[in-house]
Amino acid sequence: MIRNDLSSRKPLNILEKIEESLEKLNEKIEVMIEIQKTNGKSNLRAIPTLPDASLDVMTLLSMPDHLRKTAMTICRCTKATAEEIASQTRRARAVESAYLNQLVIMGYLKKERKGRKAYFFIEKETQS
Amino acid sequence: MTKIIAVHSYKGGTGKTSMSVNLAATFVKMGKKVCIFDLDFRAPSLFAILKTQDVENWFNDYLNNTCDIDKTLVDMSSKITGPGKFYSCLANPATEAIRDMSSKDRKWEMHALGRLLALKDSLLKNDKFDYLIFDTSPGLQYSSINAIVAADFVIVATTGDRSDVDGTKRMLLELYNLFEKKTGLVLNKVLDPSITAKKTEMQNRIKNDYQVPLLGIMPCFCEILRNEGNLIFVQDKPDHPFTKILAEMAKKIEKDEIA
Repeated sequence: MIRNDLSSRKPLNILEKIEESLEKLNEKIEVMIEIQKTNGKSNLRAIPTLPDASLDVMTLLSMPDHLRKTAMTICRCTKATAEEIASQTRRARAVESAYLNQLVIMGYLKKERKGRKAYFFIEKETQS
Repeated sequence: MTKIIAVHSYKGGTGKTSMSVNLAATFVKMGKKVCIFDLDFRAPSLFAILKTQDVENWFNDYLNNTCDIDKTLVDMSSKITGPGKFYSCLANPATEAIRDMSSKDRKWEMHALGRLLALKDSLLKNDKFDYLIFDTSPGLQYSSINAIVAADFVIVATTGDRSDVDGTKRMLLELYNLFEKKTGLVLNKVLDPSITAKKTEMQNRIKNDYQVPLLGIMPCFCEILRNEGNLIFVQDKPDHPFTKILAEMAKKIEKDEIA
């Protein structure tokens, strides 16, 4: 009986794994498309990483449009996952994840992992 | 849904403070719980218009993180005849406070934006305020842009003055567009007395010139100038056209009918 249950679950598990892999692949493709799109508009690699960067309104104004949307949303949320940001900007989670990570590299945000989730936030020390 | 309204303009003297106070009073008359904030830290004026006394804590203190927002609110409900509640949160008019606010750095301004955004939780969610109205300083100053970013809806007051028209156009294009902010324009101090006949033409011209929806057209009323900003006009003159136009604007905002 138990053996039957296990054998019937096996194909289901494999299908779930395939679905998971396909989702990951899809996310990566979306990020690649988005990066290709935005590369023409701005060269983010040229923007230096600022160790003490502040996400004030003048900085928001000087940002490229795609990053400003993400940055403004994180300002309103204080702390959020890429999924939470994506639900507000109505862009793909993977795209927001890429933008949030870019903002981390630029020194505007911090990132911390809790279990499987990654949270992005504006560092408290820079707010005082 | 509109909850936080910022009143802004490119130039000074366009009627922002008068509009902010009287719009707040109009909402109070409609039964709403409203708080008006003075964000003109370089030239505070709300305390004089509202004749507020015994202010223990200022809005400056909240932004400086030295007190909670409820300590800065002054209950002004007795000044308005209406079912709603009216509170004010004032900028400190002392010269030392103005100097202090003028010398803030970018990090402080970033923190101030966070404090403004936190009002959504403290006042709207917890204290059940219906509207927060930010009376800002003119032009592109940190405090004003912070208010615009934090607001759900921005009223831009403009006059027919050429220097104001050009600057307002540029500001809408280069600032408001970037923040994708919901905006309504109020053409204030219009001198033409045959305003009704020209209304449609003016509406179209404004839409074409500024590319933002028109919230209202306010004629220039000598009675308002004569009062020298000493009173809450909609309270004192309930049947005046100014009061009626403001009531229409408030209804449009309430019903989210700004098109």
